[in-house]
Amino acid sequence: MSTDLPGWVPVEHRWLGLDRRRLKPALFVLVVALLLIYGWPAVNAVVPWDNPIKAGDVLDLGGGATAVPPVGWQLEDGTLVSDNTGVSPARETVKLAKAGAVINMTGAAFDGTAAQFLDQVLQSQDANADISGAPGTFTTTSGLAGVVRTASGPAGDELLAAFKMSVTSPASAPALLVEVSTAPNSFQQYSGEIEALLRSITPGSGA
Amino acid sequence: MTLIGSPAKNAQLTAIEQSGWGAPFKLVQPHNAAFWVWLIGVGIGSVGIVKFFGAGFGTYRLAVTSGIVFFGIYLIPWLIFLRHQNRYTAQPGGLLATGFAWGFCAAAFWIALPANTAMLEIWTKLLGPAGASTWGAGLTAPINEEWGKGLGLILLIGLAPRLVRSSYDGFIIGAFIGLGFQVSEDILYAYNNATATFGVGQVESSLYILALRGFVGITSHALFSAIFCAGLMWILGRAPGERHVGRGLAACLAAMFLHFAWDDAAGLFGWNDFLLFAAPYLLLMPLAIAVLLVVRRLASRTERAWMRELLAPEVEAGVVDNDLLAAVSGLHRDRKHFRKLVHNRRRADLLIESAGDLAQEIAAAAGTETPRVAHARQELLRLRGAAP
Repeated sequence: MSTDLPGWVPVEHRWLGLDRRRLKPALFVLVVALLLIYGWPAVNAVVPWDNPIKAGDVLDLGGGATAVPPVGWQLEDGTLVSDNTGVSPARETVKLAKAGAVINMTGAAFDGTAAQFLDQVLQSQDANADISGAPGTFTTTSGLAGVVRTASGPAGDELLAAFKMSVTSPASAPALLVEVSTAPNSFQQYSGEIEALLRSITPGSGA
Repeated sequence: MTLIGSPAKNAQLTAIEQSGWGAPFKLVQPHNAAFWVWLIGVGIGSVGIVKFFGAGFGTYRLAVTSGIVFFGIYLIPWLIFLRHQNRYTAQPGGLLATGFAWGFCAAAFWIALPANTAMLEIWTKLLGPAGASTWGAGLTAPINEEWGKGLGLILLIGLAPRLVRSSYDGFIIGAFIGLGFQVSEDILYAYNNATATFGVGQVESSLYILALRGFVGITSHALFSAIFCAGLMWILGRAPGERHVGRGLAACLAAMFLHFAWDDAAGLFGWNDFLLFAAPYLLLMPLAIAVLLVVRRLASRTERAWMRELLAPEVEAGVVDNDLLAAVSGLHRDRKHFRKLVHNRRRADLLIESAGDLAQEIAAAAGTETPRVAHARQELLRLRGAAP
């Protein structure tokens, strides 16, 4: 005869202080949860990226704006003009990666100049980030004037470029942030491709 | 009044035993592994919340706090609505809060956040960024999120096996787990939306998310999980005559399909501009509500039968009449019919609530006569105008 006292576990049902009769649901939950939490990242780790930029590919930045990405980099996020899908210039994100170097492009709604936008970005990021380089002006082939800052440190090299995506009325146009980060002392080897990408940024027609 | 030994009394005692009504709920059970898994999940999830929001709190504190305040207020009508749905089973508040906490902390931040991040990247690798942008969310969330939330129900079965018996228990508990997940996700969306503008107009951004997510929240996680968890209970069949594996699988798949269709509406309806705009509201929302009503109706059968058996001795004793029994154990149309009979909506609702009180007290007393049962009976008789 066993006891019915609440909280009392009969000795034959004890295991490491736990009630053996109640183990099943807990184990099931633990196994399924761990599978979801660690199983997908494990699968993700073995599936390689295979989406390289090919010659002639053009990035769709929304609202007719475009950029020409460097050939051979992996397109991990973003839309190509050839995809023919709707893109919002204030929401579009692009990620290009190549051997430890990453280029992120982020569209945002922002009223103000490119310099003000870059200040807002820096304010919203880590206040202690070592963005030491003085701001410089960068003009794209299409005539967009952006603001560029660079940083360099033991964690790697970084470049931030901000644009307002209109030549005629930049204050109210969507903003574009380009963030480039590379391993320490390796920025130089990508600088040509990065400069070409920045120069290729073109606003939509009429903008 | 001694009713012990009558067939109605025996049926009442059986209903109390089968339903688990009146059983107390205790979360802290150190000998129960389900408690420790719940604690691990909610604990790691809570740390995840602090890390996630803490990283940018200096910049985005307005978005986070306004998100918490707005969606905290948004929670109130939901709790009132779900309390009303909790009429048959009357699950203890502590058990529902335990489910809510699982949905808010564990399902959202312990399971869904890392699982979704990895799985979305897998879809991006397999379908390309454009394909993943169109289909990735719908092929990810219904798996990780519905299962993440459903695991909370399994844990509650381990924590309160007597209380979680019928598919309606799954329906109600699922709704609370889903609501916790939904509010958690809404606050996350408010934060993410503020980061998209690099911190400009944070309160306006949270208000925008409140308007958007608040409306679509009607047919979101609370609904999906209510359907999914009712399905899980049908598969498990924890009450006599309630094992319906096919129906359970259909309910789980329906919840996952609705979640998929909502997340991938752009992919499903993108070929037509009108459908792209209107289909989520004119097609998917009504479909989700229709599925919910069907599942709720099917799931409530056992609970309604238990309610009839629980009150049967009171019917025999003349405390509850057949019309009131039909109303308190019935569907919306039965309550509507009873209001017509009574010719006074308020009085009819008071009678129904009072009969429900009596049923709860009888269950809490395990069918024995206690001062609280006697008082609940006296209250009902007073309302009926039959008190001595």
